[in-house]
Amino acid sequence: MKLDPVLVEIFFHKFTAITEEMAITLQRTARTTYVKEAGDFGTSIATPEGRLFAYPTDLGVSGFLDSDVGPALARIEDLEPGDVVITNHPYDSEGLSTHMPDLHLIKPVFVDGRIVAHGWDFIHSSDIGGAVPSSISPRFAELYEEGFQIPPLKLVRAGEMNRDFLTLYRANCRMPEENLGDIEAMLAALRVGERRIRELVALHGVDTFLQAQKDLAEYAAEKALAVQKKIPDGTFEFWDFLDDDFNSDIPVRVRCAMTARDGEVHLDFTGSDPQVEAAYNIPTGGKRHPWLTLKLMHYVFSHDKTVPLNHGMFDHVTVEAPLGTVVNPEPPAAVGVRSATAIRLNEAIVGAMTRAEPELMPAPSGGIMIPSVLVEQDPGGARKVMVLQSLVGGTGARFGADGVDGRDSSLANQRNTPIEKTEEEAEAMITDYALRTDSGGAGRWRGGTGVAFSVRVVQPGSAVLGRGMERFVFCPWGAAGGKPGSKAQVLVNPGTNREVELGKLDIFYPEPGDVVTILTPGGGGYGDPLERSSELVGEDVRFGYVSEESARCDYGVVLVGGTVDAVATEALRARMREVRGPFKEFDFGPEREAWEAVFDDATMSELNALLMQLGTNVRGRRRREIFNRVIPRLSEGAVVPLHERVGDPAPARRRIAEEIARLREDLAPRAAGD
Amino acid sequence: MARYRIGIDVGGTFTDFVLVDMAETRLEFHKEPSVPDDPSAAVERGMRALAEGFGISLGDVELVVHGTTIGLNAIIQRRGARMALVVSKGNRDVLELARLRLPSSYDFTAPRESPLVPRDRVFEVGARMRSDGSVAEAPDAAELEALAAELRGARVDAVAVMLLNSYRDGSLERTVSDALRAALPEAQVSESSTIWPEVREYERCLVAALNAYIQPLMSGYFRRLEARVEAQGVAAPIYITANNGGTLSVATARERPIETALSGPASGVVASTRVGSVAGRAQLITFDMGGTSTDISICPAGVPEFTASTEVGDFPLMMPVVNVSAIGAGGGSILWVDAQGLLKVGPVSVGADPGPVCYGRGGTVPAITDCYLVLGIIDAARFLDGRMALDVEAARAALGGIADRLGFTGPHRAREVAAAALRVASAKMAAEITKLLAQAGVDPRRYSLLAYGGAGPTHANLLVREAGVRSVLIPTAPGTFCALGAILADVRRDYVRTAQHLIGPATVLDPAANGWPAIEALLGTLEREAAAWVSREGSLVGAHDFVVSFNLRYPSQAYELTVIVPMELRDGLNGGTVARLFHEEHHRRYGFSDPATPVQTTTIRLGVIGKVAPVDLPAAAAGTPEPSGRRGVWHDGRSIPVDVYPRSGVGAGALVRGPAIIEQADTTTFLLPGWQARADRLGTLCLTEDAEDTEDTGATEAPQPAEVDPA
Repeated sequence: MKLDPVLVEIFFHKFTAITEEMAITLQRTARTTYVKEAGDFGTSIATPEGRLFAYPTDLGVSGFLDSDVGPALARIEDLEPGDVVITNHPYDSEGLSTHMPDLHLIKPVFVDGRIVAHGWDFIHSSDIGGAVPSSISPRFAELYEEGFQIPPLKLVRAGEMNRDFLTLYRANCRMPEENLGDIEAMLAALRVGERRIRELVALHGVDTFLQAQKDLAEYAAEKALAVQKKIPDGTFEFWDFLDDDFNSDIPVRVRCAMTARDGEVHLDFTGSDPQVEAAYNIPTGGKRHPWLTLKLMHYVFSHDKTVPLNHGMFDHVTVEAPLGTVVNPEPPAAVGVRSATAIRLNEAIVGAMTRAEPELMPAPSGGIMIPSVLVEQDPGGARKVMVLQSLVGGTGARFGADGVDGRDSSLANQRNTPIEKTEEEAEAMITDYALRTDSGGAGRWRGGTGVAFSVRVVQPGSAVLGRGMERFVFCPWGAAGGKPGSKAQVLVNPGTNREVELGKLDIFYPEPGDVVTILTPGGGGYGDPLERSSELVGEDVRFGYVSEESARCDYGVVLVGGTVDAVATEALRARMREVRGPFKEFDFGPEREAWEAVFDDATMSELNALLMQLGTNVRGRRRREIFNRVIPRLSEGAVVPLHERVGDPAPARRRIAEEIARLREDLAPRAAGD
Repeated sequence: MARYRIGIDVGGTFTDFVLVDMAETRLEFHKEPSVPDDPSAAVERGMRALAEGFGISLGDVELVVHGTTIGLNAIIQRRGARMALVVSKGNRDVLELARLRLPSSYDFTAPRESPLVPRDRVFEVGARMRSDGSVAEAPDAAELEALAAELRGARVDAVAVMLLNSYRDGSLERTVSDALRAALPEAQVSESSTIWPEVREYERCLVAALNAYIQPLMSGYFRRLEARVEAQGVAAPIYITANNGGTLSVATARERPIETALSGPASGVVASTRVGSVAGRAQLITFDMGGTSTDISICPAGVPEFTASTEVGDFPLMMPVVNVSAIGAGGGSILWVDAQGLLKVGPVSVGADPGPVCYGRGGTVPAITDCYLVLGIIDAARFLDGRMALDVEAARAALGGIADRLGFTGPHRAREVAAAALRVASAKMAAEITKLLAQAGVDPRRYSLLAYGGAGPTHANLLVREAGVRSVLIPTAPGTFCALGAILADVRRDYVRTAQHLIGPATVLDPAANGWPAIEALLGTLEREAAAWVSREGSLVGAHDFVVSFNLRYPSQAYELTVIVPMELRDGLNGGTVARLFHEEHHRRYGFSDPATPVQTTTIRLGVIGKVAPVDLPAAAAGTPEPSGRRGVWHDGRSIPVDVYPRSGVGAGALVRGPAIIEQADTTTFLLPGWQARADRLGTLCLTEDAEDTEDTGATEAPQPAEVDPA
């Protein structure tokens, strides 16, 4: 650090205040609910090179700290004072925008002909055109279905609004006036940012202002490195699965090999599945990227709350994200629901860190976010669309602490919808919104429970919809001897003789009187459940987080009349220790074990390497054919547990070997011809 | 003759008293050490001290107004009642799930709030309403009996009842709670629809639960307080300060103790707006800097601003309270150096015990107060009027330790560290103020910082330079300002109803869809209820006024705005007028509006203000300030000679030029070089830069949006 340590500290507070004042201005003056209520926006200030050197502590979306506005600006040849650049293009911005509803603005701040910083902000706009209202659907395969593409271009040119662009924009989205209101708010926030930057430059001079950016980044890098040094040296591999890619029933694998050396961390995502023909691809430009490094940032911040939020946090992180995979797709692959894949990717990183040192990270959370929606039709036929609830699972347990029940800050950390607000709009009644007993993974520290949410439909012609339906096939795994959390489920009329399991809910048309119940997953458990103190297990039973039966079967704790029978518990635990199998560092549940009995890491890596040699135009179809031939029952869907669909692994292993051999044969002439 | 009023504010270290002589327009102040185990003991002692010190007969007291933080402390420290919660079937986890949000998105170690009622004392009952106000499910006598038996088994002292949709109609909740009252006569029962019938089950549940949680404790305290005050020969009624800046009779406070939990900071803002208006400055940032934290409130219009989304402890509170934000910076904020060698201030505080190093009570970690002392801003011998000698050497040594870690060398290293720490503290506080101003959408240059609390006047001038604020007001008795606010307040209570109706002028709304007649009827009901209540609040209460406000939104949008109906529009109010006010407010805050659409009401609030004969603030005597001494103060890297003035000498109209120190028993004001302080009619100091106009700059102007740039 070149500046004195007092000035650096003062700049830290002033820089942060600029980003927060921008955030408040944006949110206060924005028009749409996405921005005003859900807080789906971001504000920051970037170095002349394009890296973010300050970030709001608790305003807007927290995850975009590692963004780089440089590539978008590099596409503008004649940047001049008074310009504002706009883009939503996942590929042309090299991953600054990660799906097209996100509109990004960048405003360079010139002082004496020289750029000293950039203001940056983004919003999730309500609609950017495309084939469905709100522009996002998992079924989309190409960017062209996802809406209006805006490569980096000037929204404002030397202080003059680009009216031609606005005309084009208006013609290409469903609610242009509201969105333009949000753009106005973004511009207002950028003006606030620029004014504050100019004040600081006037007070301290350009050189000090630029040096402070560097010093703070260096400071963050030092702090992050100190935390990363807790990771033992070595290479640690882990992978996790999305249930499927919506357009097929084939699980999507994300693989991470983390190499740590004296605090330097390299994340290699080689071996992740090829990009999918659905909207689950994460556009990263193949470089260090917020979606790839988010979990490391959570790790660093959780272990040192004084680290300033700036790009320096990532100075000691490098990544490898091969082109053509789900973590670095080629255009025009669709990207709308990239967040679902990012959750699994985060869990792969958590797993790799846990392999390195189990005490560093919590077990995975429920890992889903379901905006459940109700459509009602009044007798006149008018349709009303209402959000019923934003449903998440519980958080994972970690060394020293149980998970949090029914909440999950690791995703969007949004607020729920009060039952009374829902019922103000809807005729239907919310009959249950409660913690889901026994869903948290058992462990010395228990995973947080999921949630049980039930709605009783009243009107004929109603529909219940859900997005983000994940963890129906694979459970949130348990760590360090802990058990997995329960999977998600959707049931109709549970506990009656008309009970039906729906599997993954897309859209369902219930009859009046039907109760639709959504059960969200619990977080993974941590540590050996037999080591959880029997008093704590007794308390869990008294509070209803755990049933008496689970206390006995999973924890070896015997309760009599609500109190722990110490002698019986001791005996039972001794017996359970004797009969159980070897210690499992991770417990993935029977579904993943069955799947990997066929598709183990070596097989998947081999298969993926071969598939990557096929052109993108035929790769997807071939991949589907292979999986469906190897597992004929795969397409029966999530209602049938995956281990049942896989069946006996031995013949399936033979089939996959044959498929790989055939694929190799098919590719051979091609390789020979090259 | 009944001529005296006494305002009392209980703080952690001191209990503050203000005595008003209504006959002679005289104010007296007193500080008494607090008795944390029984705050009423300090009240008793202080009243005796008032009687002796100022030669008054306590029999001549006509009114006692009391502010207490007992409720707040019980909530923060979880020392409230053993209680149960009764909810509708399927809603058992209303407190467990809360609003889902956890305190941090980055930090997976940040814990959730610990629930007010453990899950095994939450009971479901087959009772709930529909959103249209009809009963969906009602319990029979057997079910209620079974519930009562369960509660009895849980051995609880208090019960809260919250049934879904009971904000529409509280009769089902009352049926349940009446049955419980009959079955458990020893427990106090709060039902949500009686305390605060507003939509949103989690927040409404908390209002009822928090009320129940502190009720047994507060009832006991009020009983002791009344007994002790009465034993002093005081026959006057006691009023308790409320979160909304008003006061309540003890009887009401006993029923609704949650309304008093956040009253302390509210009283300070009440006093601020009163003193600000005499000084001709309506647009205020109130700045109450104490030992562990600082309370800040933005007042754009010369009256306290309200908010319905604040926190009490870890919990949201949906009732209207004076909008005060607390930041974790105060005289006790510690200085430390992190592993990378940066100087940090706070957020940890040394607390009252052991306190800063200079208190000599065993503290070894230097705090902001040590910095004031080492810089020469406060005087070791005259702190708290000389009642507590401060140890400069110890403070200097502790700051020297910080200097070593920062790599500061040379003879002035302790003072350089102290100055640096004040710069860091100012930058942090200025950042918080900037955010609050941005939220309100106002421009700091039009605002005056009204500074009080022990450290407020000391730090104010340093802070405003950072925050872009151009003037500072310092009242005559900054150390007992909340007690003054208590005695200046009227009786006030707020009422709420949730009612979704469309309103607007006939041009945009079909008469059949017009919800205004329903709202008018509702307002009438509320006014009758409020008038009946205020008439029972005591004989000192004279005429009453109503304040009407609406939460409104465009039907297509989820977010709401609060619109307060100005007094002059209350007569003949109609839906078109309310809609117009909404469009205007929407345009002012957000820069756009849509007058062609009808507007939807969501929440209707009625405040009733029972007027108490007003206290006139006494004029200050004229006086020409004479320095009582001079000392060196470290400022901008060197020691400068600074004249020291006793505050008592700075009379009405007097002018002091900086650099200067103005000392009084409860605080020290630091006036920077290039600034001046002028005392107004009441003796309030107004600090401005020499070049600035000292006349009123903002009293009559409307608040301005932050965005003043044309492009």
